[in-house]
Amino acid sequence: MPIYSFYIFDRHCECIYVKQWLERERERSSFRPQTANSTISSPATLSEKRVSTPIDAPTNARPPHGRLSVQDDAKLVFGVVFSLRNMVRKLSGPDDNFISYRTSSYKLHYYETPTNLKFVMLTDIRMDNLRVALHQIYINLYVEFVTKNPLSPVEHKGGEGVACELFELGLERFVQTIQDV
Amino acid sequence: MSSTKAARIGEEVWKTRIDKVNAELVTLTYGSIVAQLCKDFEGDYMEVNKQLDKMGYNIGLRLIEDFLAKTNTGRCANFRETAETISKIGFKVFLNITPTVTNWTSDNKQFSLIFDENPLADFVELPDDGRAQNELWYSNILCGVLRGALEMVQMQVDAHFASDVLRGNDTTEMRVTLIRMIDDELPPGDD
Amino acid sequence: MSNLNAPNSPFVPFSPNPSIQSGVPTATPPLSASKPAQLGSSNLRYASSRKSIYDRHLNRTQRSELSKASFAFLFGEMIQYAQKQVSGIQDLEKKLNIQGYAIGQRLLELLLYREGRSAKRETRVLGILQFIAQTLYRHLFGKPADGLEKSREHEDEYMLIDHDPVVNSHISVPKEMSQLNCAAFVAGIIEAVLDGSLFPCRVTAHSVFSEQFPSKTVFLIKFEESVLEREAVLQ
Repeated sequence: MPIYSFYIFDRHCECIYVKQWLERERERSSFRPQTANSTISSPATLSEKRVSTPIDAPTNARPPHGRLSVQDDAKLVFGVVFSLRNMVRKLSGPDDNFISYRTSSYKLHYYETPTNLKFVMLTDIRMDNLRVALHQIYINLYVEFVTKNPLSPVEHKGGEGVACELFELGLERFVQTIQDV
Repeated sequence: MSSTKAARIGEEVWKTRIDKVNAELVTLTYGSIVAQLCKDFEGDYMEVNKQLDKMGYNIGLRLIEDFLAKTNTGRCANFRETAETISKIGFKVFLNITPTVTNWTSDNKQFSLIFDENPLADFVELPDDGRAQNELWYSNILCGVLRGALEMVQMQVDAHFASDVLRGNDTTEMRVTLIRMIDDELPPGDD
Repeated sequence: MSNLNAPNSPFVPFSPNPSIQSGVPTATPPLSASKPAQLGSSNLRYASSRKSIYDRHLNRTQRSELSKASFAFLFGEMIQYAQKQVSGIQDLEKKLNIQGYAIGQRLLELLLYREGRSAKRETRVLGILQFIAQTLYRHLFGKPADGLEKSREHEDEYMLIDHDPVVNSHISVPKEMSQLNCAAFVAGIIEAVLDGSLFPCRVTAHSVFSEQFPSKTVFLIKFEESVLEREAVLQ
């Protein structure tokens, strides 16, 4: 079952990491945003492209037919997720949190840490709930390779320092195992 | 979360989920850091204190994520629970010590941590130049760590040492004060 | 203090303090940064109820353990602090080397003390390298070093191999700094131990790419002339 994309948002409401795999039907175009991949390519080319490209560097080519660029996509996703979370908290108290929502073309899974770090994954509609998987990504990949890496800064402004090699490799492998299940 | 439950969780995480390393490596590394700072600031111990606090702050920002990942604790309901979590789970998981929580003020916004042992300060004696014992807080990095870690979970606190055995006092005591709870950040309005 | 014996004699005055060696200044930072006390005795205050560190047994903390994360965070801060002060990979590695050096000096004393009666004073190159690869490594990292080799091209070079240095376990070096190896810290420790045992040398850390061990590190140990001469005499 395919996984479409993966986002990480930090506590300053900024998108610090984006990964897109299979492009969904409605987004197929010749447009290649700087940080997107259309297939799961080998890690070597991945890291070459990603070296120190901050996420919010402007992309000049607007995609045709009103398709969204990666930044706008990320902002939309964040907006949805943030509003839903606030609504859930207002309705049922500060301890509750929303877990996922489903539309006719995709399912969105959400996990938030107590430090206000938000992990969002968009997958095929038949996928089981991935909250546990997102938690695993947090503890086994993000904390190990991003937080503990002294060569990456603490505040990841513009996505700086998150896309390091070990994290990317680990994420690819992990996503493969989810998809094969 | 009660104190015994927190202690139990701390023990369990320490035994099962932590990769361990020789304590002397950590002690000597910390000593090397403090010595380097003293040399760089040429004996201006107030600056060294500030720098240690800053370094601790940076560590705390990262350490909290590691802590949450390893212990799966959720948000604490109030400051008292936070204090128990810090002392029984936090310090246990990283330094294998459990400082005692005492001296609560009546408004529950201040408490003290009393350290029976401090692995960072094993083998340490402050230099005998007449000023170090009066000015340097050797373990000041811990204050910064607490400050940074709690800020990431939306509590602004102040932490400072009130006494230290390296300075000739009888106990090592850190005073922690809750200043305010920080609200969630809102996204920029022009979305 | 000059060497009283003949220059070719294998007997050199043993002292772990490099400043007592014959006339060779080393880049050793002094062990105490304080000015000498005005009065004859110490002015330090000690806690009334507790004993000072001189009453505690040195071996008390020998087996104790702390979390690897604590070390990782402290080491990370050390690197960040050094990065702010220097520009350039060579300087950064040099700073890390110096900080490791201070630790190595103390570790040498501690480990020899702990060996007790069976402590052997190493006079041969292979002996001291084995001490580092086995005893020192085991004490610090819980495992012996993974390999010890002698260079074929240069007489004075040896290589200590570590397949996965503990200090580098959370570090992911960005492409623009690909020559940096933070195990320069461990190189400093090794250099201090060798200098202290009177085998003056330079130790550097190099990353070697290997399919099986992606973070394989080789410590290149380059001995000075005097060591080789002594080795030849002892042959």
